[in-house]
Amino acid sequence: MAPPAIQLLVTCLIDGLFPEVGESVVEVLAKAGVEVAFPPAQTCCGQPAFNAGYWDEARRMARNTIEVFEASPDPVVIPSGSCAHMVRHGYLELFADEPAWLSRARRLAERTSELTEYLVDRLGRTRFGAASSARVAYHPSCHLLRGLGVDRQPLALLEQVRGLDMLRLEPECCGFGGVFSIEQADLSGAMLERKLAAIEAANVTAVTGCDVSCLMQIEGGLRKRGSRVRCQHLAQLLAGREPGLR
Amino acid sequence: MRAAFHRRVRAALADPGLQAALDRNAERRTRARLAALATLPDAPGVRRQAAAIRHATLEHIDQHVDALQRRLAENGWQVHEAATAEAACAQAVAICRAHGASLVVKSKSMVTEEIGLNPALERAGLRVVETDLGEYVVQLRGEPPAHIISPIVHLTRQDVGALFHERLGIPYTDEVAVLNAAARRSLRPAFLEAQVGISGANLAVAETGSIVLVTNEGNGRLVTAAPPVHIAFIGIERVVPTLADLPPLLQLLPRSATGQILTSYVSLIQGPRAPGDADGPVERHAILVDNGRRAMAASRLSESLACIRCGACLNVCPVFREIGGHAYASAYPGPIGSVVSPGLFGLASHGHLAKASSLCGACREVCPADIDLPSMLLRLRDESVRKVPQPWWWRWGMRTFAQVAGGPRPFGTALRILGWVTPLLPTRSGWTSWLPGPLGGWSRWRHFPRFHRRPFRDRLRGLNLAARAVDPTPLVERTTRPLPRAVEDVDLIGRFQRELEAVGGEVVRTPASQMPAALGRLLESTGCSQVLLAWPEGKHLPDRASLEAALRGLATAKILHAGHTREACTTLEQAEGSVGLTPAVAALADSGTIVIESGAHGALATSLLPATHLAILDARDLYPTFADWAARGGRSLLLERSSVALVTGPSRTADIEMTLTIGVHGPRRLIVLVSEAQGSDPFRSGR
Repeated sequence: MAPPAIQLLVTCLIDGLFPEVGESVVEVLAKAGVEVAFPPAQTCCGQPAFNAGYWDEARRMARNTIEVFEASPDPVVIPSGSCAHMVRHGYLELFADEPAWLSRARRLAERTSELTEYLVDRLGRTRFGAASSARVAYHPSCHLLRGLGVDRQPLALLEQVRGLDMLRLEPECCGFGGVFSIEQADLSGAMLERKLAAIEAANVTAVTGCDVSCLMQIEGGLRKRGSRVRCQHLAQLLAGREPGLR
Repeated sequence: MRAAFHRRVRAALADPGLQAALDRNAERRTRARLAALATLPDAPGVRRQAAAIRHATLEHIDQHVDALQRRLAENGWQVHEAATAEAACAQAVAICRAHGASLVVKSKSMVTEEIGLNPALERAGLRVVETDLGEYVVQLRGEPPAHIISPIVHLTRQDVGALFHERLGIPYTDEVAVLNAAARRSLRPAFLEAQVGISGANLAVAETGSIVLVTNEGNGRLVTAAPPVHIAFIGIERVVPTLADLPPLLQLLPRSATGQILTSYVSLIQGPRAPGDADGPVERHAILVDNGRRAMAASRLSESLACIRCGACLNVCPVFREIGGHAYASAYPGPIGSVVSPGLFGLASHGHLAKASSLCGACREVCPADIDLPSMLLRLRDESVRKVPQPWWWRWGMRTFAQVAGGPRPFGTALRILGWVTPLLPTRSGWTSWLPGPLGGWSRWRHFPRFHRRPFRDRLRGLNLAARAVDPTPLVERTTRPLPRAVEDVDLIGRFQRELEAVGGEVVRTPASQMPAALGRLLESTGCSQVLLAWPEGKHLPDRASLEAALRGLATAKILHAGHTREACTTLEQAEGSVGLTPAVAALADSGTIVIESGAHGALATSLLPATHLAILDARDLYPTFADWAARGGRSLLLERSSVALVTGPSRTADIEMTLTIGVHGPRRLIVLVSEAQGSDPFRSGR
């Protein structure tokens, strides 16, 4: 039987800001025996513009994404809950009045998964031979948890990391919210402070999760405070990397 | 608008009093809901049902509103349609003027906040008294409510203590029970003196022409029963087609709103006082308010009209958690407010509220009507960008972003350029510590990672993308825990007793044959000085003659008939020594609820004004649930009676810091004497 093959939608944040996270994602997928393809014409899924209300701009990026990933019938894997939510749900909203694009968006949505969802539900794998003696907090990011209903999958993966002392943070928003973090900076900052207080109270050395956007907000806040706690994408943890998004 | 909102947000974040108040009740607001929902055997199923009812009704809203209007008119309501806020207020003013009213009492109603009713009535020379404790406090403070369910969520008990000291002249205290008592004392005369009572409507049933009011303190019942004229403001979207649609909504509304299985009181009001009735208003007016709702029903926001105003989305919202309600500057704050405020009042004045959300989806998760609030907020953002001027840098930034991300070549190049440029910004241990211009908001709270000179797309060649087989250790883990199932409840009386006692009511069981003696003992034990008897002829057990015989045996108490209830309980001191004795015409086991009907015996006031309410229930009138009752005895009762009250425990409030206090405007004690005929368990006898 041919090994499973996927197309990686790496997300613009990982592409530009956290390429090491992308490397860990590829490593984890390769460990699972998956053939990874990276369509180089991919850019951004359009979520920042969509969330900001700039839907014409978002459609441009969404059309590009649909075209790029239509070229192959292979499943699309996204190491981000919110970008996967965008492709699976946001596109249907964006193209509600354009039947031709809507049906293309639907077909793409059907074969799109978030990374942990793909590993656990599609491949049925949770063990990647990772080990860690750290005490790590898992942040259930909002779009992943509530938008996609993905919670059990990352927890199952973390449970299989040998020696890991893991706790799940309360499912409360970190305050990122895309442009919200800039446009409503004070609100976003106040929400972040609450999250950071919870992390400090948890007495952990690292925070992990499935969305680099939230982790960027959290690590940015931790660094601003002078905290030594760092964030890492779950793929980095599975790949045995040290904490720190980059 | 946007700048003013930002100012209010900053002020709220920096307000230590507000933050203290929000801190004190944040957890209570969410915990109670979860506990109450856990008592439903199939909460997700009930939610699906409730949502389906709401959304299906909205699709044919005109038809259902017409049916409601017809039925209300048949029941004797005077029905008014109001297309706008101004029209709705004008109608209320006209009704008050026609009756020469000078004093109006109000129970809590968000639609009257929406239309600005109080200022309109005051401009017309009327004195308006809000009687819900929280609303009373904000009225004294001259500000709007801060939450659609908990008006004074922004205040601490110390704030209320200082206010009452200043405005009511009582010695300063921060004891919640004392504060509640002070409000009660000051409001009591208003109920009995007002010429007009004004309420909202949580729901309205087209089939029976019923206005449904879900309340706790008892002020809602008093406002709709004591003054000679009652005006109900009904947002047209609150219509439900049939009585059978009510149970899932009533199961979810109190649970979602205050974490109660049922509120102390649910009033089902069919019409004005019927000929021969001892109490109830002689005139009831229904003002059906559109004020933008039909337009919204035809818009992309139509789904949000399914809201039943439980406030759960406010309670879980992390933004509301930080800033409270006033920063929204709308009658409707929080997530639902950020949708319906622009929907009803316009994009230009309220569209910016749609941005006051991180789209975390907590609101959608808790919504009993399953409204996709994040999608509504996104649609509003789309509308705003197309119709309302936006800051130039956002427009420019998004356009540039779309151009760059429209294809691979400019995108990759842009990433590489950023990788060279961003390290020029001030840096601390590898992350950017300062960002320019509109991005400065980010770096006020956090550092920003630097773009990489070698983006992921430039590393493909170095990555070993070929498949590598490793240990295949499949996972067999998928645990699906079965939902807890409802215990088959055969012991209805036991269940009724447990539920009622859980909310502070008392249950005394007696064999039917020993009923009169048991009643005598019970009344003696209360030490009351007067018993107010509201007992109809015939039909109920025990019959009136033997009941009166039993009461004559009482040594201490004076026996009065219901016709005297108002005079006998005008002051709180009088009420204190009084017991109102009424039949419970039915009871609902799963919520510990008794049913009180209007009629010639005068049970409406007698079950409400005395400090103790003693109801006698024939165990054969016990039903498992509201749905069972509604499907059988309930429907015909509603068709017969101008008003029916479902009573679940003593009157209560949790307005001040969510601290429960028993006994507000209604009784402090509720005792149900259950009379059991031997060997006649109602469930087994198959009634």
